[in-house]
Amino acid sequence: MQAPAVGLVANPASGKDIRRVTARASVFDNQEKTAMVRRCLIGVRAMSDVPIRYLPDASRLVEAALDELGFDAEPLDIVPTRGAVDTTRAACALRGATVVITLGGDGTNRAFAKGWLDAPLIPLSTGTNNAFPMMREATTAGAAAGVLASGDVPIEAVAGRSKVIHVEIQDQPRDIALIDAVLTKERFVGARSLEDPARFVAAMLTRADPAGVGMTSVGGFVHPLSAREDAVLKLEFEPGSSRVVHAALAPGRFERIGLAQIAAIPLGESMCLTGPGVLALDGERERVLRKGQHALLTAHRDGPWVIDVSKVLRHASGCGRRA
Amino acid sequence: MSQPSDDVLRDIHRRMVRIRVFETEAGRMAEAGKIPGALHLYVGEEAVAAGVMVHLSDDDWITSTHRGHGHLIAKGGAFDRMFAELFGRATGYCRGKGGSMHISNMDLGMLGANGIVGAGPPIAVGAAFSTKFRKTDRVAVSFFGDGASNEGSFHEAANMAALYKLPVIFVCENNGYGEYTPQANHQAIVDVADRAAGYGMPGVVVDGMDAMAVYESAEAAIDRARSGEGPTLLECKTYRFFDHVGVRGMGLSYRTDEELEEWQKRDPIHLFEARLAELGVLSRDEAAGIHEGILEEVKAGIEFAESSPLPDPNTLLDDVYA
Amino acid sequence: MASQTSNGREITYIAAIAEGAQAILAEQDNAFIAGEDVAGAGGVFGSYRGLLDEFGPDRVVDTPISEEGIVGLGVGAAATGLRPIIDIMFMDFMGECMDEIANQMAKMRYMFGGSAKLPITVVTMSGAGLNMAAQHSQSLEVWICHLPGLKVVAPSTPHDAKGLLIAASRDDNPVFVVMNKLSLRNRGTVPEEPYEVPIGKANIVRPGDDLTIITYSRMVSEALTAAAALAEEGLEAEVIDLRSLQPMDTDTVIESVAKTHRAVVVHEAVRFAGLGGEIAAQIQELAFDDLDAPVARVGAPFSPVPFSAVLEQTYLPNADKIVAQARSLLGG
Repeated sequence: MQAPAVGLVANPASGKDIRRVTARASVFDNQEKTAMVRRCLIGVRAMSDVPIRYLPDASRLVEAALDELGFDAEPLDIVPTRGAVDTTRAACALRGATVVITLGGDGTNRAFAKGWLDAPLIPLSTGTNNAFPMMREATTAGAAAGVLASGDVPIEAVAGRSKVIHVEIQDQPRDIALIDAVLTKERFVGARSLEDPARFVAAMLTRADPAGVGMTSVGGFVHPLSAREDAVLKLEFEPGSSRVVHAALAPGRFERIGLAQIAAIPLGESMCLTGPGVLALDGERERVLRKGQHALLTAHRDGPWVIDVSKVLRHASGCGRRA
Repeated sequence: MSQPSDDVLRDIHRRMVRIRVFETEAGRMAEAGKIPGALHLYVGEEAVAAGVMVHLSDDDWITSTHRGHGHLIAKGGAFDRMFAELFGRATGYCRGKGGSMHISNMDLGMLGANGIVGAGPPIAVGAAFSTKFRKTDRVAVSFFGDGASNEGSFHEAANMAALYKLPVIFVCENNGYGEYTPQANHQAIVDVADRAAGYGMPGVVVDGMDAMAVYESAEAAIDRARSGEGPTLLECKTYRFFDHVGVRGMGLSYRTDEELEEWQKRDPIHLFEARLAELGVLSRDEAAGIHEGILEEVKAGIEFAESSPLPDPNTLLDDVYA
Repeated sequence: MASQTSNGREITYIAAIAEGAQAILAEQDNAFIAGEDVAGAGGVFGSYRGLLDEFGPDRVVDTPISEEGIVGLGVGAAATGLRPIIDIMFMDFMGECMDEIANQMAKMRYMFGGSAKLPITVVTMSGAGLNMAAQHSQSLEVWICHLPGLKVVAPSTPHDAKGLLIAASRDDNPVFVVMNKLSLRNRGTVPEEPYEVPIGKANIVRPGDDLTIITYSRMVSEALTAAAALAEEGLEAEVIDLRSLQPMDTDTVIESVAKTHRAVVVHEAVRFAGLGGEIAAQIQELAFDDLDAPVARVGAPFSPVPFSAVLEQTYLPNADKIVAQARSLLGG
């Protein structure tokens, strides 16, 4: 067990892909991300003087905020590449921190969990399709991290454990997804986003929320499934099917999607997907499957602890702690 | 987004290899002292030109940069007339009056390489104004660099394109350096795409080393432009494998070999060939054959240029005016 | 009140510009006007009043205050088949768009080996005398006359303003029509129908045998006033309105000097490195033996244009200064 510390990982690349054009997603510029980092830092420091350790990203999101605030914080020993691997490396380096605040989308948190599967996270949304991170004011999210790091509140009392889809691909490194894994008949990773529902083959979802955006919306309109339920949703697609769901595939974009099969299966039960195709993990095309190559998907509840900011702060106020 | 046919994939590959081989040989010619003047080579950035241009016809316009050969090749430029221009011959696309930095071909919709950083975007806005004025569905694509994104001309053009909802695609080829100055020393931002929101258009960051990422992003932006929704800023993160000028340039130490090697691991042609081979669209042998065939074409182009006449001195004053 | 004459009516210089612009849009389907406040406001000087209503917002286009963008738009539109009329409100603003003028517009055709054609007209305003001070009063025509690929005309009368504007719009080259703001209310006879004043042709506005005054734009009227004063002293000055600065009608100048043997070049622009130096050089190259005296020059002093009226009037060349130069030339 390390000494108490707050980790901070801000992904400069989130919220900038082609869905700004193919859908109506917001441009999440880096000035806004730095502003959120700044508010986070202020929140942490309002509650605690624990060390803050951060990923020194190529866009200097955190450094810019620190410079302005005059706060001290410790950069992780990582030379940024601007790739998702930076986030995964940061997760490895942060193992043992009391709590980590991530700024990004589903992809950022997936990259983080690849490096530290059961991390205690406060995931703040700055991405495109954000089922995993929450829309939360950064100031109080930072405050919650500060409270946790000062040790007054036990994590188990204020956090829930996430489901994770474990992905095993023949002849390839293992991978994970926090929200969904989708096989699509694309031939390239390309611009990464999932665009054409006519090419969807099958999917596994850890949550299906009609109020969400992305694959979670597709599942949510036919078979809602919460993050707390010990099951995952298995979907098989069929373009000409009479069973059509009208879902928000991306921000500002509804699609009619034909479904062949929908079934909830318990955690631990596997689903096999076979190439050729591209496997999208948490909404982004990630892995190419050759013809006949299998990917085995199995979900377990062994993922990050996601912290409920309100619970933390209520707990702190109940303890008589002053702001 | 369309699923590109195998023919389209081979077309993109061919355009990239045409650029690579042409530029490599042009670099050799320059180092051998056979090409006069400054030569800014496009090697490393091929996926951007090819991934965009495969969507365009001769009726669509582009503006280019000082690093413009790749754009012209991807737009359909012929090696013989291009080399003739680089060699300053009368048979060149510009009759020996433009050279590398001004190479152009109006019939192919190529409004010129440009020696002035940032000069292209306003001209592309004019070309797009023109296509909209005539009620055609043609578009204008403006290529420019991270350095040019600091020129006022870019900002004026971006504002006007968004204001008039013109069919312009601003393609920023962010190769990390404005000439010899690293991006961190010339702008306080990392993603030029962040600037788009300030003008009221979408800004997208694209992996400029991945031809299909460029292809898909360009398709979306071009569709948006053709349907009258206005401009898009596509920022393609890329890298120049050669120096700012020439192959080894002026020998300035402003970037490390390690950095270059890191980027070369993601050589856009190697990445694309590997995937095309996996897909069975283009075997390794077929790809090698394409490189060889294009090299022959390049050699023929050089031969054409070298055997072409120099401009008649009496043509000096031709075409100052129409 | 416009009064009918046998050849036309008397209208103002500004009305003549508007008529010319209207005629261009009416006759050329691919022509459009773009610039700051040209549409809704009809031009800050009123040059384009009524055109938005007649031709609509696709052809009379208000732009942001972005001179480089506006000129670039004109260059791109011209190269791709349109015939833009680009308005740069004050000539002083050329500093904002000089790259698009000097490196793009002027050179594109030549750099491209003749494959591009740029039928673009730029309308702009020059001249002092309205207390607009240093940044809204300059006569910078020499900047653009120095650029191969551009043509430059500078009308002195309502008649020439309309005729040169129409000629510029029909030309397949970039043509700058340098208007003059102090002349805007001047009246003159202007035919109603469209007509061209040929580019490259000077106009002898007053014949004379004793000396030649070579000038253009608003200084034509000052030269005529000076010539009238000189005539009272028995000296007959020939006054040449160049009208076109690039190309320049050197033949008319040389023929006149061959007859009068004396020349004064007059312009409102700063004398140093002004067009007067070029014209004087051409005269001594082509008519050295005809000269009885050095070529004299009248121009503004080497100073920014001042604001205060008394300073501005001191700064400006005028009839008195021309008369004084002419007298000294004639040994008077």
